Parts: sequence; C-alpha cells; structure tokens
Amino acid sequence: MKKKRAFLAVCITALVLTIVLISLRAYYVLVAIIAGTLLIGYRELWSLIRLRKLPPVDERVMENTSKSIRNGFIFFAIASVFLMLLFSININLNPDTIHLIGALFLSAGAIYALSYLFYDRAEPKLGERGLRMLKTFLMVAGISLAVFILSAFLHNIVSGLVGTEEPVFFIIATILAPLAFAVGIIGSLVIFLKGLFSRV
Amino acid sequence: MRTRIKEFRTRHNLTQEKLAQIVGVRRETIIFLEQGKYNPSLRLAYNVAKALKTNIEELFIFDDGA
Repeated sequence: MKKKRAFLAVCITALVLTIVLISLRAYYVLVAIIAGTLLIGYRELWSLIRLRKLPPVDERVMENTSKSIRNGFIFFAIASVFLMLLFSININLNPDTIHLIGALFLSAGAIYALSYLFYDRAEPKLGERGLRMLKTFLMVAGISLAVFILSAFLHNIVSGLVGTEEPVFFIIATILAPLAFAVGIIGSLVIFLKGLFSRV
Repeated sequence: MRTRIKEFRTRHNLTQEKLAQIVGVRRETIIFLEQGKYNPSLRLAYNVAKALKTNIEELFIFDDGA
C-alpha cells in the first residue's frame, strides 16, 4: 500500500514537472529527465509491465539510493558555490539564468543517476582492480580540472603583471589540462560501463 | 567474506528469483550476496538462513578471522 502511494506520488510529481517544463519551453531538460528515468528505472518499468508490480525496495537499494542522493546533493552544493563565486566577481557566463540553473539541476540529476547505477549495478561487479583504476581516472579528471582553473587564473594574473602574454600557464590551461581531463573522463566512463554491463 | 548461499540454494532447488521473492529482496541482492560482495544486515542474513533452512554461521564464512 505504501509503495503504491509512493508510486502515485511520483507519477503526479512527474506530470506536474512535465507541465511546468513544457510551459517554460525547457524541452531539453524534459528529454534529459525522461532519458535519465528510463536509464535508472528500466527494471522497475519492466517489472511493472511484466508482473504488474514493483520490485522490492530492499536494504541494498535503500543504501545505494541514499549514497547517490548524497553525491548529487554534494555536487549541487559545490556547483552552486562556484556559480555564486563567478557571479560575485561579475563573470558573464550565460545571460539566461533559468537555463543555467536548469543545467545545474540536470547535472546534479546526472550525478545522482550515475552514482545510483554505480552503487547499484557496477560497483559489485568491478572488483578491487577495477575500483582502483576508476578511482585513479577520476582523480586525474578532478586534478586536471583544478589545474585548468588555477592555470587560467595564474595566466591572467602573470600576463596582467608582465604586460605580455604568458606562455607556460597558457599551454597548461589550453592543452595539457583538457587532455588530462579527457583521458580521466573517458577512462572512468569505460571502466564504469564495463562494470555496468558485465554479466554476473 | 565467503558465502555458501548458492550451495544451499541449489540443494533446496531454489532459483535466485524464487529465493529473492521468499526473502523479499531483489534478485541482484541475492547475486551480490552469493558473490560475497555485499554485507547484509543481520535481519537479511537471518531471513536468508531461515529460507534455506540453516543458520547464519553455516551460510557466511569469514576468512580473515574478523
């Protein structure tokens, strides 16, 4: 009974959200949410179609869901702080604030979805070596992002102080850091997907 | 941690799906339990042991002496 009520509540929320998003003309957000829902809940939907009931929400699922909600929230909080900092120093990122906030929510949702899939389906199948490699690739991606921000900042400061274009931080920010970031992200995705789709 | 869930399950002619239904969890949870990759709560361990007509000590084996 509780589960049916929760399911009904989710359906009503989804309907309201759809109407709001259509009225805001945020079609890409709507498409992304539908795609994310299908990705996370395809087993639930399949069970509903096939057996006309939802699969049980057991302790493992509960544990994984709370971990992924926490990750999505942490991402949203960090991204919000960055946005506030950028707005406070008056950098014009995107004039359309609604889309920017929409993208932020969407990214937090993506983090939630990916970490749910990671904890629920990929993590137990990856093994110690896979997890270690994933951690390394994620660290490469994270560090290169930090290096990019720092180099761009330092390049501007040094160029401003010297009066000419500073080359070292420029090369790091435009070539090395993005390259390392791409390696980190692609590597993590490959390992993650390998874990997600490997048979148990 | 190693488990003997698969051994007991096949002894009782139960599929993963059927055992999951009896215990009230998803089939994936049974898969992860069989692989020893998920530490269940005491209640879940008890329920699985009960469904397989054995006890927790028989089902879950701790190699590291922990």
